[in-house]
Amino acid sequence: MDPIILVLILVSAVIGGMMASLGVHLLPVGGAPAAMATATGVATGCVMLMTGSALTGLFTASAVASFWEFEHANIGLVALSGGVGAMLMIGWTMLVANLLYVFGAGIVPVSGRVAVDPITKESQTEYKTPRTDGHGMPNVSYISGIAGGFVGGFGGALIYVTLENYAHFSPATAGIVAIGIFIANAILAAYNIGGTIEGFHDPKFKERIAVGLFAAFTVSLLCGILVVVATLVFPYLGLGGAL
Amino acid sequence: MEPIVMVFAWTIVVIVLAFIACLFEDLESDEGSQSNPNSQVQLAPEMGYIHRYYNKAISGEGLSYALACTIAGTVAWMMLSQGITPVIAIPFGAGIGSLVHMIRATIPHLGREAAHKRFEQPIYMDVFYGHLVPIATHNFMAVVCITAIAYIQSPMGPLAAITGLQVAANNPFPLPLLCFIWGITVGAIGSSTGDIHYGTERLFQDRPFGEGRRVIYHGQICRYGDCGIRTSKDIVAFCAKYGGPATGLTFGLIVLFENWRTLIGMMAGGLTGGSWSPELASGVGIAIGLVIGVILIISNLYLVRWARKKFGPFVGE
Repeated sequence: MDPIILVLILVSAVIGGMMASLGVHLLPVGGAPAAMATATGVATGCVMLMTGSALTGLFTASAVASFWEFEHANIGLVALSGGVGAMLMIGWTMLVANLLYVFGAGIVPVSGRVAVDPITKESQTEYKTPRTDGHGMPNVSYISGIAGGFVGGFGGALIYVTLENYAHFSPATAGIVAIGIFIANAILAAYNIGGTIEGFHDPKFKERIAVGLFAAFTVSLLCGILVVVATLVFPYLGLGGAL
Repeated sequence: MEPIVMVFAWTIVVIVLAFIACLFEDLESDEGSQSNPNSQVQLAPEMGYIHRYYNKAISGEGLSYALACTIAGTVAWMMLSQGITPVIAIPFGAGIGSLVHMIRATIPHLGREAAHKRFEQPIYMDVFYGHLVPIATHNFMAVVCITAIAYIQSPMGPLAAITGLQVAANNPFPLPLLCFIWGITVGAIGSSTGDIHYGTERLFQDRPFGEGRRVIYHGQICRYGDCGIRTSKDIVAFCAKYGGPATGLTFGLIVLFENWRTLIGMMAGGLTGGSWSPELASGVGIAIGLVIGVILIISNLYLVRWARKKFGPFVGE
């Protein structure tokens, strides 16, 4: 195989993996406490939320990649399609979650980590229930989540389109490998966050993003090397096996 | 009929199925108290709150549904490969997926309740038997809809059979992988949205309305129903009025706008005739998606502003 293609696979795995990690750090994740309106963010774990949104993006990206039937797909456009798909998934989820907080439980979405919303400049403290860590998705967390979904979806779709179009994996094999690299990075980021995070305005984000990205770089590089070796040793991966 | 009309018609079928799938997914998780609010059901006996809730914490909803849907999709795919009609293959596959889910629902409940013996929490056998069938039936409804969606979109489904278009309207992924993708997504959405109505409102219904549940309330769940002692079945009737449909709406809207923007982009790129331009098709799809994203941000701004104005600052202790 052309060495340029092998370098392209490696680079896309590293960039895609690091973008997945950055995306997870940007999401407002409240975990189990958010389901009881005890913490700000989406009421589920980092990995599940990011994987759910990235897979929605991957679904659209795979359809868009099939637009180019007899030539190489445009990497940028396919990756952007994945990013926008993931962004819409997370956007709708956060909006309906806020509808449930407001109309189902009568709660005002507020941040627990900052006194003033950095984007809308709305004060937060007096709207917060005492002895909670905030509740719902305030605007800053919502915008951070939209950005996180976009970045994560872009990374996942980037790995997919490189493997499918340039390494000539079958769509199924490329999809599974992309999901694998993505989930490895998402789990690492979840360990790095260690519980809940509200988005880019959270002090935790600044403290931990450097370590998270370095870990993502290391793991993605290892994953990328593994994929390159697999491509060289098992060239029939392109047939996609039974699938 | 025009091929593009058929594509839109099948897309509408997929959207309706998505709504039903996510609605039942959320209600199933409420029925067995899976996912995030399960932390409270788990904590309750330790706080001295002996309860009659079903305590099913298999795993996160995303993984649990990915497994059930992938099993269903794989069985259906094998049967379809043998030439069996989808009307039989899809429900049969979903039935196998639900049976496996029922087995997985059994073991965590018995294991967790047995571990609570030290807090004098009994294993109520009527609660155990009474919830298994509703769990399996709710799960079946969700899994059969997801498998049907995956079948419609897969290369062996009706979208792939539509001819006369510049490119195929189906997704290139095979049926089991589509089941996995939608299984994870439906679980992630059910966990993120529907749990709020169950965890914040229903589990703490005896606490003041309109405030976040303080940490000191944790574990002190509401154990009494409208009449008698509450079980997890009483949760479903309540959450089916708001939390479940809202969750279904989320997945339905996601599938609607994802498919719609892709199809509109494909039509702009010359799907139905003329010269086919993949760059224009994907570009228009991306642009529509970005516009929807901006509308979503504005909607949230308006919603938060409305809630702040309507409810006002926190009053009370």
